[in-house]
Amino acid sequence: MAREEFEIEISSSGKVTVRTVGIKGPACLDFADLFAQIIGKEESRELTHEYYETQTVTQRHLEQKLKR
Amino acid sequence: MSSVIVLTPLIIAGWPAITSAVTAAVSTMGYALCKETGARRHLLADAKTKAEIEIENSEILEAAAGTGEELIVEKDGIRAVFSRDARGALKVCMEGVGYSKQELRRLGQELIGRVTQQYVYHKMITELRERKLAVVGEEVAKDRTIKLRVRNW
Repeated sequence: MAREEFEIEISSSGKVTVRTVGIKGPACLDFADLFAQIIGKEESRELTHEYYETQTVTQRHLEQKLKR
Repeated sequence: MSSVIVLTPLIIAGWPAITSAVTAAVSTMGYALCKETGARRHLLADAKTKAEIEIENSEILEAAAGTGEELIVEKDGIRAVFSRDARGALKVCMEGVGYSKQELRRLGQELIGRVTQQYVYHKMITELRERKLAVVGEEVAKDRTIKLRVRNW
């Protein structure tokens, strides 16, 4: 399984940018929702090629995180 | 990379969390916390230029310890007073001698940005820990952007 990581940038004005790395398929959107839930309002969202690949194990991990 | 999301933070917190964020932010900006409050502060403030800024997307939770609180910081003849306005939002009143209203407003926006950044940073770290997501890298860039690298084990 690819390593699942997030790169988070908090600018000096407080704006937050989150990039998911190594998370394939729709699970990356669920993680994006998780960060939106933590921080606040979503301004924009961009999907890259990995979104269109599949990753079944990630989904299982995410469900565990969201349950907490 | 599979997605990039940009978020605008909502500040919803009690006064203690706001105090922590202000304290952390001003310590790196050269401001000092001021103990002077009440009538003397307002008397001094009458003779100065003022700019009041309400922080959008903020709500200071009304709790037994917190309402009516204010926090004052000072630097180079500028005084910033953080408080909760009548609607419950966080506001900062900038006061200064020899500064225009526009300058005070710009300095106030800079201060608010850094307070928001510190609030977001602490909230993020707390929430990541609760979800067992590990921070494996952290750095502050030259432009003061905080960069975190987080891993889902």
